[in-house]
Amino acid sequence: MAITGLGPHGERAVPANQVGLSDADADAARNRHFSVAVVLHTTMSDWAKEELAGIVATLGRYGAAVVEVIDCAFDIDRQISELQRLATEPVDAVVSIPIGSSRAAAAHRAIPAAGKKLLLLDNAPTGMLPGKDYVSVISTDNFGLGQIGAELLAPHVAEGGKIGVLAYGVDFFATHEREIAFRKWIAAHRPDLSLVRGKFADVSQAKAATAGLLQANPDLAGLFAVWDVPATGAVAAISETGKTIPVTTVDLGNDVAADLAGGGLIRGIAAQLPYDQGVAAGIATILGLLERQPPPWIALPGLSVTATNVVEAYQVVWRAPAPAALLRARKPRKNTP
Amino acid sequence: MRRGKDMGEDSTEVAAPRRAAGRPRVSESAHGSLAALLNLVRTGTATTRQELEHQSELGRAVVTDRLATLLRLGLIEEGELGPAIGGRAPRHVRFRPRMGMILAAVLDHSSLAVGVSDLSGRLLAEHHEAVELGAGPEPVLQRLATLFAWMLEEHGSEASIWGVGLAVPGAVEKPDGQRLFAPALKAFQNWDGFPFVEQLAALVDAPVWARSGVQTMTMGELKSGSGVGLTDMIFVKLGRSISAGVVSEGALHRGAQGAAGMIGYTFIEGGNLEAVAGSEVLEREARQAGESGRSPYLAEVLARAGEVAVTDAGHGAQLGDPFCIDLLGRCGRAVGEVLAPMANLLNPSLIVLGGNVAETGDILLAAVREAVYRQSHPVVTRDLRIVRSQMGGSAGLVGAAQVVTEALFDPRFLQGWITLGSPREHPEFKDFLARAALDISTRPAKPRPPGGTLA
Repeated sequence: MAITGLGPHGERAVPANQVGLSDADADAARNRHFSVAVVLHTTMSDWAKEELAGIVATLGRYGAAVVEVIDCAFDIDRQISELQRLATEPVDAVVSIPIGSSRAAAAHRAIPAAGKKLLLLDNAPTGMLPGKDYVSVISTDNFGLGQIGAELLAPHVAEGGKIGVLAYGVDFFATHEREIAFRKWIAAHRPDLSLVRGKFADVSQAKAATAGLLQANPDLAGLFAVWDVPATGAVAAISETGKTIPVTTVDLGNDVAADLAGGGLIRGIAAQLPYDQGVAAGIATILGLLERQPPPWIALPGLSVTATNVVEAYQVVWRAPAPAALLRARKPRKNTP
Repeated sequence: MRRGKDMGEDSTEVAAPRRAAGRPRVSESAHGSLAALLNLVRTGTATTRQELEHQSELGRAVVTDRLATLLRLGLIEEGELGPAIGGRAPRHVRFRPRMGMILAAVLDHSSLAVGVSDLSGRLLAEHHEAVELGAGPEPVLQRLATLFAWMLEEHGSEASIWGVGLAVPGAVEKPDGQRLFAPALKAFQNWDGFPFVEQLAALVDAPVWARSGVQTMTMGELKSGSGVGLTDMIFVKLGRSISAGVVSEGALHRGAQGAAGMIGYTFIEGGNLEAVAGSEVLEREARQAGESGRSPYLAEVLARAGEVAVTDAGHGAQLGDPFCIDLLGRCGRAVGEVLAPMANLLNPSLIVLGGNVAETGDILLAAVREAVYRQSHPVVTRDLRIVRSQMGGSAGLVGAAQVVTEALFDPRFLQGWITLGSPREHPEFKDFLARAALDISTRPAKPRPPGGTLA
């Protein structure tokens, strides 16, 4: 699938599979034994674990040690203090996923100010510039993920219906791009649909936000949640009303995958490939450390997942056999003559 | 001699004259002094009453009265106490950049960008997306309305929009005098006669200032990029078209018709500069080299992606592909040959290369430097830096917001709205909107306003 979105500064994406190391660069990196720290919003989610695995495996392949992994637990203050500390530690590079925007920018600038390389995952806080403040942003095509979410939802909504977006009320580039793209696709391809919006600032509020949206819009006929964990909350809220409202979302988490496979409310998922993204981040880190100037925006396309391909998609995304529940619910493909 | 009594109703006291002989007298009309004081506070030139009296050469009573008015209008607020120098510690006053919001939009041939900033011109958020401009101006206007509404919902405060900065490809006509006006946007062939600026102003109910893309990029680079703190620089946009923005002694040079900087039309060996170094030409040559197998790297790209972009030539050059190195070297030398006479003429301290061709990397940059240094007077190049822009597409947005900031607080325009509290109340803008409404009413299609239903 093509990459449709532009980067945080309007850059055209360079696909992750086009960014590589020459043999000479690989040898040079192994000889220098770089030290790298990784700062994540959480290390608890499946996405974060796979992303980290990709980063760690790749850096290890090129002789770089991951000396520290920090779990910020979605706490921006924690991230700020950890970045300030890392700026004084003997690490050559920091790979970070910024939480929030303006405050995150100032804290992240401490890393290049200390002469270290900064690589960003998913998000470049407004005002931070490639080359000057950071090396590259490595991200899934979030704009494309939003489009997939819309494409998968639209067939399940009748003409003239009302659909909702369950949005993240925090200034976060990736989720904003998904929502903008979702709206754009619907406006372009299903102008008959009307749109309403619910918002949560914390994933624990996703269920309540959906309940509020349902109360205010009893005729809601579809919902897009900007990632899988709030989508699970949304499904719970919808189920309590006894309604059957189709939901699409982003990220192939276990719960939404099982719901999708089992014929629940989830009708489609735009999946990221976190391990592959981690690999790309690892390569970009090495390139940056070797002063090779990798592209400012390295992107990976999203994967469109429905009930018919959820098992295969699970294997691709998580590099593991699908759980038994998914296999049991697997819908056999019809063989075309 | 006493200074003329101030025109403010609250003023009862008149200060002794403080103006040094031979120095110009600041306008003492209410509008003039309010505008002067606001700009001193806004730019951080003076932030205490004493400093304001000193800098503005207005009397103490006038300053006190005007500050009370500015506080009442919400344009400034009182801040912390400063250090005391023999007496009471002075209280700082500061500008309130969140009183109003600025929207910025950059239209290019294949992409669109929007941003929102506060009145300091600092971007709070930006978004870029690919766009098909072939469908005409109305879908673009719709898209801007939708994205602006989104931006304001996410990042706007309760404050209203005070102005829109719009950047378009190609020159933007300069008005006679300083009146608000809507230039015809000639950048797109099928936009002829469409009242784009009028419709945009009516949609957001705020004045719109349009500039060429390269001019806003230049302003952005000066405000937030490599040009911070400099007064003389040249910004060169190397893309499908090639043009330059010139900042001389701190001010953007727009030229008599607003068309300064069209260096792509300069004739050099092989044709005009755009025909030698424009991205379309480079892509055509790169594609041919891929097809013929002359460049193994580009042949591989072509086989994999089915097309070749100018950035591919940049990657090829970085990986040592001889054709790509030669292509970008030739391009850089051609650009440098055109820039050298400009450097000799203007003596800038910085030349910034932007646009997608500039993003190809160091080979091009080295070739530009070599050509400029070879053909320039030694004094001109003694401290001249030639760098690549690091702002990417953000330069245009930052610059568009900056154009609005400068226009809003330009003393002549500021005096027209300052006592009314918002530039939306400026009589000239009201006139503009009335004229625009007349123009728009003759057209059936009306895009939805921001703040309405999001779609």
